[in-house]
Amino acid sequence: MAYSKSRYLVRRLQLDPSLIIVILLLAIVVISGFVLSDRFGTTRNFMNVLEQSSGLGFASIGQAMVVIVGGIDLSIGAVVTASTIFMAAIVDLHPGLMIPMIFGTLLFGAMIGFCNGYITIKTGVHPLIVTLGTASILNGSVLIYTLQPTGGVPYWFEEFAYGRIWNVPISGLVMLLCFALVWLFLRYFQAGRAFYAVGGNPEAARLSGIQSNRIILLAYSASGFFAALAGVYFVSRTGVGDPRIGDPITLASITPVIIGGLILGGGKGNVLGVLLGVILISLLSNLLNYMNISTFIQWVIQGVIIIIAVSVYVHKGKKL
Amino acid sequence: MIRLDGISKIFPGVKSLDNVTFESVAGEVHALLGENGAGKSTLIKTVSGAYIPDEGTIHFDGKKRKWNSPKEAKDAGIHIIYQELVLFHELSVAENIFIGKAPLTRFGTIDYKTMYERADEILDRLGHHINVQALVKSLSVADQQMVEIAKALVGETKLLVLDEPTAVISGREAELLFERIKLLRDEGVCIIYISHRLEEIFSIADRVTVLKDGQLVGTRSIEELDRDQLVGMMVGRELKDIFPPKRIPSLEAAPVLTVRNLCALPKVRDVSFDLHAGEILGIAGLVGAGRSEVAHAVFGSIPRSSGTVSLGSEDFNTPSPRASIDRGLGFLTEDRKEEGLMMLLDTSANISAPVLPEFTTATGLDRAHEIQVARDEIDRFRIAVPGPESGVSKLSGGNQQKVLFGRWTRACRRVLILDEPTRGIDVGAKVEIYEIIRQLADDGLGILLISSELPEIVGLCTRVLVMREGFVTGEVEGSRIVEETIMRYATAERESAALDVA
Amino acid sequence: MSEAAVNPSEGISKIFRQPGRFIVPLSLVLLVGTATLLQPSFLSINNIQDILTQAAPLALVVLGQAFVILVRGLDLSVASLMASAAVLATAFNATSDAMIPVIFLVTIVVSAGVGLINGLLVTKRNVSPFLATLAMMIVLQGIRFYYTQGAPSGSLPEGFRVLGAGRLAGIPVNMLVFFFFFCILGWLLHKSSFGRKIYITGGNPKSANLVGIHADRVTIICYVICSVMAGIAGLFLVGFVGTVDNWVGRGYELDAIVACVLGGIMLTGGKGTLWGAATGALILILIFNIVIILGLPVQAQLIIKGIIIIFVAGLFSRSTQT
Repeated sequence: MAYSKSRYLVRRLQLDPSLIIVILLLAIVVISGFVLSDRFGTTRNFMNVLEQSSGLGFASIGQAMVVIVGGIDLSIGAVVTASTIFMAAIVDLHPGLMIPMIFGTLLFGAMIGFCNGYITIKTGVHPLIVTLGTASILNGSVLIYTLQPTGGVPYWFEEFAYGRIWNVPISGLVMLLCFALVWLFLRYFQAGRAFYAVGGNPEAARLSGIQSNRIILLAYSASGFFAALAGVYFVSRTGVGDPRIGDPITLASITPVIIGGLILGGGKGNVLGVLLGVILISLLSNLLNYMNISTFIQWVIQGVIIIIAVSVYVHKGKKL
Repeated sequence: MIRLDGISKIFPGVKSLDNVTFESVAGEVHALLGENGAGKSTLIKTVSGAYIPDEGTIHFDGKKRKWNSPKEAKDAGIHIIYQELVLFHELSVAENIFIGKAPLTRFGTIDYKTMYERADEILDRLGHHINVQALVKSLSVADQQMVEIAKALVGETKLLVLDEPTAVISGREAELLFERIKLLRDEGVCIIYISHRLEEIFSIADRVTVLKDGQLVGTRSIEELDRDQLVGMMVGRELKDIFPPKRIPSLEAAPVLTVRNLCALPKVRDVSFDLHAGEILGIAGLVGAGRSEVAHAVFGSIPRSSGTVSLGSEDFNTPSPRASIDRGLGFLTEDRKEEGLMMLLDTSANISAPVLPEFTTATGLDRAHEIQVARDEIDRFRIAVPGPESGVSKLSGGNQQKVLFGRWTRACRRVLILDEPTRGIDVGAKVEIYEIIRQLADDGLGILLISSELPEIVGLCTRVLVMREGFVTGEVEGSRIVEETIMRYATAERESAALDVA
Repeated sequence: MSEAAVNPSEGISKIFRQPGRFIVPLSLVLLVGTATLLQPSFLSINNIQDILTQAAPLALVVLGQAFVILVRGLDLSVASLMASAAVLATAFNATSDAMIPVIFLVTIVVSAGVGLINGLLVTKRNVSPFLATLAMMIVLQGIRFYYTQGAPSGSLPEGFRVLGAGRLAGIPVNMLVFFFFFCILGWLLHKSSFGRKIYITGGNPKSANLVGIHADRVTIICYVICSVMAGIAGLFLVGFVGTVDNWVGRGYELDAIVACVLGGIMLTGGKGTLWGAATGALILILIFNIVIILGLPVQAQLIIKGIIIIFVAGLFSRSTQT
């Protein structure tokens, strides 16, 4: 029997109802956008949305990886905040360290994520509690250091957020690249497949000789890494470190994950769905802005979307 | 091939394995026998590296080994097929077969094309065709089991352990399975086969090792043994000593429970029966035949699709556990940890749970009364627990089960449904439970007994319903209640069984 | 010779085997001791009154949170609900104290509705408690901000200050209210048969259904209790603080969970006492006070909370494993 890749892909898409739902919703939002606003349906606007969605996108990739292995990361917002401060404060003192500090910040985030994973494994405490705890510690530390936006980075660094290559925002490209890499990793690498094994049936994974602890550590480290990348993006956008910037990100990072068809409890889902979820949320918020609907109402909508999404993809027995 | 010397494994409160010595060679099928709780699973988990023994040594393939994880044992060539299938439902058949050892491309990525082809080859070798790209969650249980066996054929397996592989499949599927096992044996694989179905042991095993209460009873060649000797080794005494005498109930009075055309799709299809006061009616069948579901549908804990259930003359068609309990129905469930006991609560609370309203007064729960009732039940069933206010989590399986008997005899006046009442308890406790069941029937309760252990059904029941795939395929009474007849109905096609009954 | 004196080493090993039983009283004593050493006036009547006044709103929330955690749930919407109750109270723009009962009644009804929705989502739609209440948190927040357009106006009757910060015969009024609820809920949880149903449901929901307990119903009622307590706590907190803003009670969701964990309520459900939960709240407030006595910045409280929750939850999960 011969197996072609394209046939496999088509079959996968057909089988996954959540992806179809997201695509449908996207279509609805785009079509309503064209109808309701004449500024919505322009290339320029789409590129802006792509740029603005990057922060959420980075945060969601990490959240997705943790959710697939059956965990959750509520420290993402705090890691974003801490990363912006960490980066902006140090670069402010030593502008020459700009480039190394990008990597330094990513490493910083990955280390925090590693701690989350390590504590989860070693204590057996639910990741919800562990990451809530680390979030509290990080936020406290940041707020002791500063209550106001602080630090600064060289002006040229805003190119990461705002710069364009062939009219496409660099940050958006980096986000798409990250999604592609994570998708490839989860799809084509043994360790990636092990994410699903560990999340889907931890005991079976152990009996199959999968080193679950390593996979869990990897997932949380990746989550911290991508949260820090979101932090780097926000520093590039705002030029400063902001002790409050990450607050809404934790919840926001969960929404696309849920819409994208992943289930809390793990073992299922595709990061492409998460990417579509990120784009859906960003386009929706963009459209609502054009329609002059207040941010406050947008919060309500976000909450309702989460509830509807989890109620629709209702899953027996898997609770977090 | 493998030799275990003086293995002991202690869990809090239980010595699960006590100085067990076991040895098996390449190219044989070695059956491991024993009742539930005899230590078979623990032994297997020791072999597989899932447990580290507290004492004793393991030699495998000529070398002394000490495994710290299942992975190490696996790398050494040991493959275990557990009773609960170790599969990942969201991954494809091929991915499950190659979990952790997928063929890779030169970039280090998974080579899906090769993986699918090799998965096809392996399934061909097993003579079993499944779409290897299908997700495992879409397969039937029998297909899922073939995937498990296919996993053993990836890489070099020197020792293959099968833990009750026929528990969930039909007779024909089992025969196919035995063929594959013999094929592997002839290729020189050492096979350890766990089961408590004696017929199977005689048709497949070369040697037998029997465990009892964590200790080794003995290892024999299968030719040396007949059936009775084997049972004697397992049970430690003759069957007729175990079961209290049967009493034929009077069937003249109106039945206490009448079930007509009961359906709870997809697991229960068109089940009808009567149960009389004082009668012990058995429901037999393979795992997955729908026996427990019948109980749940009668009790109201799963929704009924159609059909009627009446208790005495009372129609009872808005079912819920509460309504059932109020009408005098009790249900001692299969899984006492998940569906029975409240491990965090004390003995008295576990006993009073279904009849809480009885203890409710204007000022709250009448604790003194509750404790008194619990004390009565503890005395009545001789439950080895320090007192009504001590916990249940550390009790032995038999005592935990007796707590549940205390609960339900307290709560139920007419019909008691027992689902696997002796699972995982030792022989002594079993005998006590059998006597309790007999006594309850003599006291006038109608008893519906569901059990996978055929000797239990044969030894206790005066009438037996046999189920397969949700249907009742046969009903046997009196002297026809023997294991062979029951097994024939349990594995028969529906049409042929119907013919047979006619 | 008394029994306890016979074998001291056994007593000590017991502490390590069952840290849950000893951690609460031990840490209370330690904390009060430390605080008194650091600041001798700590044990003065005045200071104790202050601490209790401060502790009451949190303690009220903790009582409710305990019910939800006991049935294997979690309510992250309590803080948002507290602020919403405060904003709702100002919406009456009442000046007369006669309006206070009306405000309370409306708050209780609205909060009960919120709890009902949380409970229904968790039980009937099988939404994880975490997600359901997180979504509820943000929905309430959105509605609140939309109503206030970011800055609450409106005013509260004077009587709220008395409820939130006043004293009656030297005892803080809000502490008396707490004590009232503590007795009622304590009776409900530990003495009534409904309380038993809560423990059965939390310990083993499957078994609960099979012994004829409507586990869903019990769970929903616990969510309602939690929300109502949060709504009431919001009113007392706004009385204590004196001004309404959109973030009244911010952080209380985490504080309430930390207090429950400190007080020995197992996050996996089915185990813990109301007494423990209340003590947990007291311990947390003591820690906050010590942070201030030590002259540390207020934000250090966040760090300490984070460390405590991980450490204590770890301790409990270890002790239940064996």
